[in-house]
Amino acid sequence: MQDNEARLLSRMFNKISEAMAKEKDYLTELDEAIGDADHGITMSLGFSAVASELSRSDLDSMSAAEVMAAAAATFLDAVGASTGPLYATGFVNAADKMGVERPLDAAGQVAMLRAITFGIQQRGKGLRGDKTMLDAWMPAADAAEAKAGEPGQIWSAACEAGELGARATQSMIALRGRAARLGERSLGHIDPGAASAVVILKAMRDTFDEKAAD
Amino acid sequence: MKTQPLGKANAGKSDVEHAPEGMPLRYGDDALVWACWLYYEDGLTQGDIASAMGVSRATVNSYLAEARERGIVNIAIEPARLASLTIAQELKRHFGLVDCLVVPSEETGKPLIDRIGAAGAQALHRLIKSGDTVAVSWGRTMLSIGEAASVSGLQDVTVIQAAGGTRASFTYTPELCAAAVAGAVGGRLVNISAPAIVSSRMVRDALLEEPLIADQLAVLSGANKALFGISSLRPNSTIHTSGFFEEVSLQDYLAKGAVGAVSGRFIDGQGRPVAGPLDERIIAMSLDMLKSVDLRIAAAGGFDKVPAILAALRGGFVNVLITDAATGRGILNADGVTVVDQKLAQRPRSENMRFEGTRSRSRVKKFLNDPDHVVEEMLDGVVRAHHKYLAPVGKSNRALIAKDGPRPGKVGLVIGGGSGHEPCFLGYVGKGLADAAAVGNIFSSPPPMPILQCARAASGDAGVLFVYGNYAGDVMNFEMAAEMAEAEGIAVRTVLTTDDVASSSAEDRDGRRGVAGNFFTFKIAGAACDRGLSLDACEALTRKANARTFTLGVALEAGSMPQTRRPSFEIGEDEMEFGMGIHGERGVSRERIVSADAIADKILDRIFHEMGATSGSQVAVLVNSFGATPLMELYILFRRVEQRLNSKKIEIEANWIGHYCTSLDMVGASISIMHLDDELTELLHHRCDTAALKIG
Repeated sequence: MQDNEARLLSRMFNKISEAMAKEKDYLTELDEAIGDADHGITMSLGFSAVASELSRSDLDSMSAAEVMAAAAATFLDAVGASTGPLYATGFVNAADKMGVERPLDAAGQVAMLRAITFGIQQRGKGLRGDKTMLDAWMPAADAAEAKAGEPGQIWSAACEAGELGARATQSMIALRGRAARLGERSLGHIDPGAASAVVILKAMRDTFDEKAAD
Repeated sequence: MKTQPLGKANAGKSDVEHAPEGMPLRYGDDALVWACWLYYEDGLTQGDIASAMGVSRATVNSYLAEARERGIVNIAIEPARLASLTIAQELKRHFGLVDCLVVPSEETGKPLIDRIGAAGAQALHRLIKSGDTVAVSWGRTMLSIGEAASVSGLQDVTVIQAAGGTRASFTYTPELCAAAVAGAVGGRLVNISAPAIVSSRMVRDALLEEPLIADQLAVLSGANKALFGISSLRPNSTIHTSGFFEEVSLQDYLAKGAVGAVSGRFIDGQGRPVAGPLDERIIAMSLDMLKSVDLRIAAAGGFDKVPAILAALRGGFVNVLITDAATGRGILNADGVTVVDQKLAQRPRSENMRFEGTRSRSRVKKFLNDPDHVVEEMLDGVVRAHHKYLAPVGKSNRALIAKDGPRPGKVGLVIGGGSGHEPCFLGYVGKGLADAAAVGNIFSSPPPMPILQCARAASGDAGVLFVYGNYAGDVMNFEMAAEMAEAEGIAVRTVLTTDDVASSSAEDRDGRRGVAGNFFTFKIAGAACDRGLSLDACEALTRKANARTFTLGVALEAGSMPQTRRPSFEIGEDEMEFGMGIHGERGVSRERIVSADAIADKILDRIFHEMGATSGSQVAVLVNSFGATPLMELYILFRRVEQRLNSKKIEIEANWIGHYCTSLDMVGASISIMHLDDELTELLHHRCDTAALKIG
């Protein structure tokens, strides 16, 4: 089948959706500790809505940016909550920044990762260390940029940094989002939002590494 | 826990034991003190006291509650002392410290800085000896220690400033902190005659060669003891407010993984130095110098500092730690040490150990068809049941509009939030109350689209008022919807409900979350809108209602999501969660369960503390079930609420008892009180007709 960049992104969202479904219980357990026990359900619901929306779209006539924008709108509508606006803004920002020519070559992938991260930052007004999904996204984007010269290393570096970041949320006190009400009781727990960010990053890695192996 | 009245004298008990006829003289005319003495010191029952004093048992009960509230009876902090000792021992063991001093954490009372300052002062007494050279850093905590300490009888102590000088735009400069400590220990003060931060490396190098400054730095490097604070990189930490690093981009250090600073030097989570633009321009004790000091006394507390303190401990910069119990426990938890929690939990529980093992409940039974369709199916039922009051705006039931609500020239009231709180929010849609409600997934804010649909449908060209609970998700989605509505020419104002007293301190009222008290705020907003007041007036009245509404909740069992059908978390059989939100999330603290009256008292004491209501005031009361608590227990709580208000001569203008803002099937209840004034009273009684509330 002829591959285009819209299909590549659609495959990426499919992989994210599959991975979320698999990690749903784990994420929900994390959320039971410091949140309202629905993070796994929310993320899985949101990305399965994106995947099914894209499966109904005419990917042959869509640009990568259009796929990203469609994913943003669908995710937002299906989810609401705080993850809805955060990821929707990240995806919309990525769509805005996507070039027309080869939007998803190595440099384009790094730019996409940065744009998603930046959109989330803008919407949530969060900082690193607040014990949120940004504690995974920001180091991941930094690591990917650092490896921009070695295309083969981008995603493994991003995932590794994202995972370290997510793990570090264990020793942080939540300053934003619902867990912030728990104060010091949020200590010792991984932030579910950072954990699901790692799930997304890994699905991205699998998608783009697979493409590179073609 | 042991309680004792203030001013306990050595007076003999015998005269009290003989059930005196009248009130003994030494109690003056204070019936409260007398009642307390009989109860807490002589161990009489409330019934016995009632007959001794010639009043009803309920009055005695009110006296005792009142006495606690007024501080006539103080809860002694022995268990807290025990806890802080346990935490101190554990910190000392886990991090291999020379010494550790942990002050008990109190809910009220002195600010944390002062308490740590007092503890630091004690530590100085114990740790500073004649002949010592003590390096002293700067910050609020340092100054507090210097001001609290007074150690006499020391000889030949030198106190050296650990960093150069800074602008005196704050009171805790390196100069002042060192001077305060020097004064406290009667030591010789050595200042550093250079700025802490200079403009370039060249300037620094030149200054370091100045003989005077070189001598001073030689004193610094010869220090055998160091007293310093630990700075977090949080927005409100000393580092930001002191202006010390005003020209430095902290983002630069944050990006490199810095979590805190000691002596003006940044460190990462493992306590490794983080290099940055400042390094070559700073004149202060270096991390290596600090590490070579024999006794490195750090004083720091506050949850925001936990990552920074942990980093300083990991990096070996600290061998004496002074902190408070909550922070200390946080540090241990963050480093994966949970023995303290076990130890502290064991103590009260050991007395009633029972034979049943750990028994986790199996799946919670629910009336379900498909767990993924609960919201849609519920909304379908709602629309069918309440078609008299509401209808979907479009095809989807996620945006519901009042049938007899919006009209030209009237401000439209739009409320909304996640589902799982029924009858909130949709039960309040109808004539005289909300014009529209947007419904999200369980415990999740609705996305912007249904909110926008509500705004359009509710708009009567006089503007639209959004009123919803203060949660990050709701704020983002409603803000996006407001921007979209404004773009369509609909004027939107927003009032966030923030009635939950437990969720943040009184100073941070705007940071609190909205819980069951939004019932009152919605009611006032709806009445104001229905009266045809301007958007400005509606907003102002709604803000007033919210500002005068106070709620506190307690959960006894966690609720369960339809998808998981298990309790979201476990609450032990003799425990309760105090300070509950309405999303099935944990409360603010886990406590031992006590009687209904004691729970109500605890809630009311907190509310009275903040609500300015005095004798003759009027209030509205809501005793709300979180879902699974029956009316029977709500009435038991209400009974106590009424007794307490009555004993304060505060009049209950109106009350509601039942399911008004729930959290699925959580077992628990909240008490909300709105402090009325004439305007609010009138609006409270304004006619409304909705599925969940009818007035007039």
